[in-house]
Amino acid sequence: MKSLSQQFFWRLMDLIVGGIFIYAGVIKAVAPLRFAIDIDNYKMLPWAIGVRLAFYLPWLELVCGIALILRFFYRGGLFILTALTFIFIAASIIAKVRGLDITCGCFGHTSKNWSFTAHLALDFAILITLIALWVSSRAQQREL
Amino acid sequence: MKVSAIRQALLLIALAFVPAIGEAIYFRDKVSWQSPDRSSEMVNLDQAQSWGANAIWVDARPDNEFEQDHVPGAIPLNEDRWNELLPTLLAQWSLEKKIVVYCSSQSCNASREVARRLRDEAGLKEVFVLQGGWETWLKSKR
Repeated sequence: MKSLSQQFFWRLMDLIVGGIFIYAGVIKAVAPLRFAIDIDNYKMLPWAIGVRLAFYLPWLELVCGIALILRFFYRGGLFILTALTFIFIAASIIAKVRGLDITCGCFGHTSKNWSFTAHLALDFAILITLIALWVSSRAQQREL
Repeated sequence: MKVSAIRQALLLIALAFVPAIGEAIYFRDKVSWQSPDRSSEMVNLDQAQSWGANAIWVDARPDNEFEQDHVPGAIPLNEDRWNELLPTLLAQWSLEKKIVVYCSSQSCNASREVARRLRDEAGLKEVFVLQGGWETWLKSKR
């Protein structure tokens, strides 16, 4: 059984990671055209697909962030957010290797001037936390 | 009842479609769904240079890059110091002038964003984005 402090710690992690994705989702959902241009800058998808993703992905982040906070469809939310973060890290690295000067706009205007390293560090921190939450929830499930 | 993670994920994926489709319907007439439709705002270097003194060059890169080097006579205008820098541009602007905004390269987004804000927020007409940005300018000078 997890101690009370461990339970508190993992719950806090849920709230932090869920909050980050809700924030990122809301910021992009209110300006889908700006996000469509950000996706287009990666030069990986045709505009017709990118613009549709720009309308969909923010809501997916938002719904999954809420799932994490409410612990409703928790593992499904974790699964999607882990996959999204992994894909985003891969896309950022590929864009960098191709020499593209991208602004991800993931966290709105405040993040536009972050360096590539700062972006990557935050993304890896989120990815590691998501994986840790996944492992923790599996352990908890086995105990039940 | 235990629902597998994959099944939960599929349900969340489906759930996110509901507001996304609603928003897409709301924006249906404001979005170009098949192409970025930016051709009208882009200008190549030769065209922009042909405007001579009728062009105001706007540097949308961060301050430190502007300080290192910039197009002669260019005015810095980035989103970080928008309110502070915009009056300098407006002081030089007049109806017959065209504005050419550039950022570091073809793939950067800052020039498009600054151009959009100049049109939408400052109400300026004839705002263009330089194809290839600062990189193209540098190449032309070598």
